[in-house]
Amino acid sequence: MTLLQLLVNGVALGAAYALVALGFVLVLNATAAVNFAQGDLVMAGGLLAAALAPHLPVPGILLLPAVMAVMAGLGLAVCAAAYLPLRHRPPVSVFISTIAVGIILQNGATLLSGPEPKSAPPLFGGGTLEIGGLVVAEQSAAIVVVAALLIGAQQWVFARTQFGRRLRATAQDPEMARACGIPVTAMVLATFAIGTACAGAAGLLLANQFFVTPTSGGDLILKAYIAVTLGGWGSVPGAVAGALVIALFEVVVSAVLSYPVALAALYATLLAVLVVRPQGLFGEAARRRA
Amino acid sequence: MRRGLGGGLPWAGLLYAAGAAALCLYALFGATPYGLRVLTVAGVYALAAIGFQIVFGLAGALSLAQGAFFGLGAYASGILSSQFGWDFAATLPAALAVPLLVALVVGLPVLRLESHYFALATLGIAQILLLAAVNLPALTGGANGLAGVPGVVLFGRTVPRGLPLAALVWGIVAVGGLLAWRLSVGRWGRALTLVRDDPMVAATLGLDVGRLRLGAFALSALFGGAAGALAVHTQRVVSPEVLEFPVMVTILTVAVVGGRGRVAGAVLGAVLLLHLPEWLRGLERGYLLVYGAALLLTIVLAPHGLTGLVERLLPARARPLPAPRPLPEPAAPHTEPLRVEGLRKAFGGVWAVDGVSLAVPRGAILGLIGPNGSGKTTLINLVSGLERADAGRVLVAGRYATALRADARARLGVARSFQAGALPAAATVLEAVAAARLERSRGVAEAEGQGMAVLHRLGIADHAATLCGGLPAGLRRRVELARALARQPAVLLLDEPAAGLTDAEKRELAAHLRALAGEGLGILLVEHDMGFLLPLATRVVVLDQGRTLYDGPPQGVRQDRRVVAAYLGEGGGA
Repeated sequence: MTLLQLLVNGVALGAAYALVALGFVLVLNATAAVNFAQGDLVMAGGLLAAALAPHLPVPGILLLPAVMAVMAGLGLAVCAAAYLPLRHRPPVSVFISTIAVGIILQNGATLLSGPEPKSAPPLFGGGTLEIGGLVVAEQSAAIVVVAALLIGAQQWVFARTQFGRRLRATAQDPEMARACGIPVTAMVLATFAIGTACAGAAGLLLANQFFVTPTSGGDLILKAYIAVTLGGWGSVPGAVAGALVIALFEVVVSAVLSYPVALAALYATLLAVLVVRPQGLFGEAARRRA
Repeated sequence: MRRGLGGGLPWAGLLYAAGAAALCLYALFGATPYGLRVLTVAGVYALAAIGFQIVFGLAGALSLAQGAFFGLGAYASGILSSQFGWDFAATLPAALAVPLLVALVVGLPVLRLESHYFALATLGIAQILLLAAVNLPALTGGANGLAGVPGVVLFGRTVPRGLPLAALVWGIVAVGGLLAWRLSVGRWGRALTLVRDDPMVAATLGLDVGRLRLGAFALSALFGGAAGALAVHTQRVVSPEVLEFPVMVTILTVAVVGGRGRVAGAVLGAVLLLHLPEWLRGLERGYLLVYGAALLLTIVLAPHGLTGLVERLLPARARPLPAPRPLPEPAAPHTEPLRVEGLRKAFGGVWAVDGVSLAVPRGAILGLIGPNGSGKTTLINLVSGLERADAGRVLVAGRYATALRADARARLGVARSFQAGALPAAATVLEAVAAARLERSRGVAEAEGQGMAVLHRLGIADHAATLCGGLPAGLRRRVELARALARQPAVLLLDEPAAGLTDAEKRELAAHLRALAGEGLGILLVEHDMGFLLPLATRVVVLDQGRTLYDGPPQGVRQDRRVVAAYLGEGGGA
């Protein structure tokens, strides 16, 4: 039973991590650039939800659209300030500019809301459900459902709509997409908006059970990075799978040993994976660009 | 002839010297005790950033472990002095040794990774060290750290706070900075920039990419460790803060704002950024917000940083071109510079090269032709070591080279050109050609002198100071040939050297190649232009789908039925 319980907690955590990794990998595919600010964007989403909550005393599920909308706007701003001016420069420039965005977000958040941990309201309620003898926090179940719906909706947009096809074309080959008349800049902006909205959603989901402080982003970007590396650089399903693996690993090892040991083991595993299989466990999906 | 602090003598150099003098005057006469403390901390970060300039600026590896090396140095010196009462003269070597050891152990596997993985891996290392510092209280004092770290105690006497400590720190910055600057403008620094711009080309020019990168990483660790040791005795306490991300952020911001790859940039950036919070007093702990904004603005608006701006406003005078220097007398050519036996290579289940054997005797020009995708370029990659063969053997000048990496094969005597052209856009023609001599010469001056000699030989010495980025096709090909020749190879692999050339240029190229072969050089020439190739080649090999279709005299190519069907027929009949 304990193991099942851990499994449920792990899947809930993994669902939230999956949203973090998803936003990261979408931007990666559209721009071939690493968005190092993704973790801090998640933190910003969490703090935004925590700040909105006293003014809008509604359940988290109703806050979610508002948070995602504001975050999408923030994503546009990040894209305009830190990606578009550098699109023809070496990839390391964007890496550094997004590190800068992360620093600005982190310290801006400290100035605005202080360094204390904050929590966001639960999606529906703070109670527990009993499913076949298994006690599941309502929030955990809600996270899994909401994250699955968001990821599913996104997959549907990408696979079935004209807009999604244009986004995918831009991600595959921006030059060719431009030649086919696709407004590539608009598509890149849209990708940043979607990726950042994902971060916002993840922030809201995580900030209830785990609290959020302005420095929470550092570990989250590492986990997104690790998920994407494990799942195959650029692969969307791989990123989701990678996020689940990380969360399960973290939950199980924390339960048996401790959280710091779990983190250290996670980073050590990552280093080992990089050394043995630099192309990720499932190969690289993103093509290399010079 | 030597470049100023990264290119700017005399005016930019004078400006930097004046700035340094003003800083000394301020420290001696103008600074309050608090001001001296800020200046001391600026020196500490200048030292850490100088190390970061080597690994990130010169070698191009975005290491996020520089903050971790800083923290390791801080803990090493802090623990040994506070718990065991060691003198700074003993803790400093320890503070250098610990980060160095970590850099060497993790550097070997991690430096092979591509840029974003390298950044991730180094960040992972930094996080593991931070976790260890917080969770091993017996050694590190845990989250609270260790209080009671003494000041700098040198040979039993405490260096007083204020001017003496500032002088000690800045003295070490001066020594370290000078050392780093000498290295950066010398042979090693040039080799590192070559590795940064194009590791593949660097390897074909005989440079051991892995060793150069590891050296840069190790050196950056030494600088980081020294800075951490000085920091901990200035603060007189060591806590996990020294391993946290803000240290790394400060170092990165200092390096980028000051000017990537420049020692002067590290110093300028550190002095400016460490004083910025003092000038903007209202910010208190929000100084990092300003750093973030400064970093973003610099990377977007002035990618070469403040020293880059200075050098654009005060450009260096054009350097006089060096006089040509003779290249060393080449070894007597081997009777068979290149032999390939049964070479095979598959990509995704398709044999790109399928059992090819060929030989290039002394003074021969072997023409290699075949339709697109027949395996010509793959064969050149297999011979030069950029691809690993699945089976078969490569002998260079009679020695087995199959197991060797590209740089080792280059040192055995293989030189090549690239089909797409691979000259660094921001380098001058002379710098690009001199790069081929870095591995063999005693210094940059000698390499450039020898480079001039090769340029004269190919009749392009007039273009020595031109940037490679703007060269027309014909000239680019000639510069690539010059770079390959500057290696004094036993065998020269040329991948479509006549593509894009005018007829006159082709005739000139053919004359040069004949003369080279006359001196005993073996040449393997991949070319589509039959009118150029057939009169020039002493023998021709035709490849089709990775296999040898024809191997014989050039006159026989047009008569061979299978060759005509597979290749020549395409152009004639269809």
